[in-house]
Amino acid sequence: MRDRINEALKRSKADYTEIRIEEKETTRAAFRGKELEVANANIDKGGIVRCLIKNKGWGVATFNDLDDLLNKTDQAYQCAQVGSVPEPIELASVEPVEKISTVEMKRDFRDIPLSEKKALAEHYNQVVMGYSNKIIDTQAVYVDTFSKIILANSEGTYIEQDRPSVVMRTTAIARDGDNVQQAHDSVSSTQGYEYVLNKDEMVKMVAQHAVELLAAKPVKGGQYTVVANQMLAGVFIHEAFGHLSEADFVYENPKAREMMSLGRRFGKGILNVFDDGSVPNQRGTTLYDDEGTPARRNWLIQNGELVGRLHSRQTAGKMGEKASGNARAINYRFAPIVRMTNTAIENGTTSFEDMIKDIELGIYACEAYGGQTQLENFSFSSGYAYMIRNGKIAEMVKDVILAGNLFSTLENIDAIGNDFAWIKTGGGCGKGNQYPLPVGMGAPHIRIQNVVIGGE
Amino acid sequence: MDILNQLKIQAEQVEVLSLQNEKTTVEYEANQLKNCSVAETKGTAVRVIRKGLLGFAASSDETAMDKLAAHALESATFGDKAQFSFPDTKPAPIVRTFDKVVADLSIGRLAEIGQEILDLVLTVEPEARCNISLERAIVSASIRNQKDLDVTFKTSPLSFGLEIDRIEGDDVLIVFDQFGTTVWEKDYMDFAHRLVEKLIKARTITSIKPGTMPVLFAPSGTLALVLPLSQGLNGKEVYKGTSPLAGKIGEKIFDEKISMVDDGTIDGKFASSSYDDEGVPRRCNSLIEKGVLKSFIYDLKTAAQSGVESTGNASRGLFNPPEPSGTNLVIQPGKTSLKDILAGMDNGIIVEDLLGIGQGNIISGAFSNPLALAFKVEKGEIVGRVKDLSIAGNIYDLLKNVDAVSKETQWVYSTVCAPYILMPEMNVSGKA
Repeated sequence: MRDRINEALKRSKADYTEIRIEEKETTRAAFRGKELEVANANIDKGGIVRCLIKNKGWGVATFNDLDDLLNKTDQAYQCAQVGSVPEPIELASVEPVEKISTVEMKRDFRDIPLSEKKALAEHYNQVVMGYSNKIIDTQAVYVDTFSKIILANSEGTYIEQDRPSVVMRTTAIARDGDNVQQAHDSVSSTQGYEYVLNKDEMVKMVAQHAVELLAAKPVKGGQYTVVANQMLAGVFIHEAFGHLSEADFVYENPKAREMMSLGRRFGKGILNVFDDGSVPNQRGTTLYDDEGTPARRNWLIQNGELVGRLHSRQTAGKMGEKASGNARAINYRFAPIVRMTNTAIENGTTSFEDMIKDIELGIYACEAYGGQTQLENFSFSSGYAYMIRNGKIAEMVKDVILAGNLFSTLENIDAIGNDFAWIKTGGGCGKGNQYPLPVGMGAPHIRIQNVVIGGE
Repeated sequence: MDILNQLKIQAEQVEVLSLQNEKTTVEYEANQLKNCSVAETKGTAVRVIRKGLLGFAASSDETAMDKLAAHALESATFGDKAQFSFPDTKPAPIVRTFDKVVADLSIGRLAEIGQEILDLVLTVEPEARCNISLERAIVSASIRNQKDLDVTFKTSPLSFGLEIDRIEGDDVLIVFDQFGTTVWEKDYMDFAHRLVEKLIKARTITSIKPGTMPVLFAPSGTLALVLPLSQGLNGKEVYKGTSPLAGKIGEKIFDEKISMVDDGTIDGKFASSSYDDEGVPRRCNSLIEKGVLKSFIYDLKTAAQSGVESTGNASRGLFNPPEPSGTNLVIQPGKTSLKDILAGMDNGIIVEDLLGIGQGNIISGAFSNPLALAFKVEKGEIVGRVKDLSIAGNIYDLLKNVDAVSKETQWVYSTVCAPYILMPEMNVSGKA
């Protein structure tokens, strides 16, 4: 394969050419309710050629037939000729690397028979189903994927890397008359099969939350002091802030650039945020991104000030900054775009007890269903939540959706917990048409003043 | 040996789906023609029923057909008991989904259309930034099974996506729409014109006191209602008992002004075809008629589980087994003109776009979303854009009492056709 790749790279007339070949095997065992949905294995194999003609644009060809590599390289070159950029596209320089790395898992999930994976999913499914007769539906999904990726470019980079992932995801749906509530949780690892074993406690909590939500009242809309648990804080920093620090959002937009100018105050001095693809064993961890830039820690907010952003080689080149290792693609059907890796709020000093003790009326919001951002406006929902009354956690409430303006919300973070945790859930991030991309998130508890909570 | 014939020997029932797809995409990023790509996808998905148990596997590696067959059989050793059979060939409606004009669109022509859209926007809004995606594909799928069903269909999906950002000081407005068709439409610019109209209307910014007021959902805003509803109408959710509509066929669930069909047989529409992804003929399913719940949507498996017939709503990607899924969802027009609806509004809002649609516990019908674009109506006139508001509610309560449904309907996001729907009162919240 390497020879064929080299031949194609040599033949390309483009200013820059990049080839990525991916071979992926996925195994899945999914239960829903009493029934098995599917237990099976899929094979996905294909490639992408990307050509840049600096004063025209990018051309891309993706394909399944790897024998056709030379032809596809020509096609990508022809595509690049269609572009008509007003200014030449300059890529930030990255040291070419030659690296062949393989991953060693403790218990390699590829050696585990499908029957065992199915039995595991079935077991967790029964734990959820058996929790209460109010649980009317469940999902218990085991998925492992092993991707072998070759990345080579016309500057001499040649990288082979493995990307293993194993995820166990459960959902509980509880019903009482017309009242239908659900709860989810998942666990993931890049390290091996054993990380999804012995999760009965987690799974039981999922069922418990769904059942408890049946009795919860919808939150009353208004402005509250909100304490977010680690997961919600992690999702918040990813959704509301992280996406804005992706440089493809600002690099062609002078006004957005102004909004995200380095040095701007984004929060109180206690706030520190980073993105780091080199943290070992997190969901967004990657040795090299999909342009061959090594992963590293990128500080985004330090002492409340905006200090950095996330780049591909193109956005870094345009803005005169350094490539940050954040050009990522979900698979060979896509060109890499600027994405987060593992994004986190750094640990603070406040204990959880101190954080809530002075709150007369507030909300303790936990977990997250997902969210959406539109520039500085965000909206996302917590999985379950509790009222805080007179400094104590009180009754559970449901349908807690946080919405607001990023800048005022970050500024309103007035306490950062001392209980940092990386979130081990197996979710993915969507951007453009590319979903789901494995990303990691981490945070301690945080407290935010004056959050608008939607509600009837 | 052909994988169908090979597996026929080893299993009672076999279904082979072969997909071949070629796609050309031209993209304008920030008003610049910057990216162009061609994608070729090939793959095979197999379902087998062996000893009564269902198995599934898929592969995009054409050189690994033996492995694919082995995976499918292995999957069937664990599979659930199949209560259904793969279908016989049945006559299907003739639906136009392929057009040589679309298939022959060159990259150059797509780039020209992109420029036309860009020129339209920039003439009106010189400061706007547009991301435009123009995509033309030719998709061939064939479904064969052991009963000699052999259905091949070819579609030529064409879609234009347009996102416009306008940032003025601290005021940010982003609007998006998408046009999708499978046969050439001479009015392909209409969606862009509508989006530009929204931008023009949004130039005047005004305010409204939060509280209870009439809320008019524009066709694009009805997505907040349609999305939970389409989940509730999905036969799988009904079978699993999670749909609030389970067991309510024949009951009046909504205001009688609300009627809705799922129609996979409309010529040229994005989700149309003669057959669904299991080879069952597509049809027009009446889901809600004058507020009365008429039907759910099913594929073969969920239909068999529920003791009904498939409604021709199987949908699948290469790597997943079929699931029931809506096609083109059409909320039927009402009797009142938009003009008259507006004239009757003294103080209220029009909801055009919402942020975060689909998040939260939508199967319950609950939604709570900030409004990305909304207009204030005062004494029957649209007086300007209102910001920083949000609405919340439950569609199963809201749609019980609807004030008016407009005669005018609009296709939005390619597969939903909706009128304007006026709710007599909803709580609109915001910073007071």
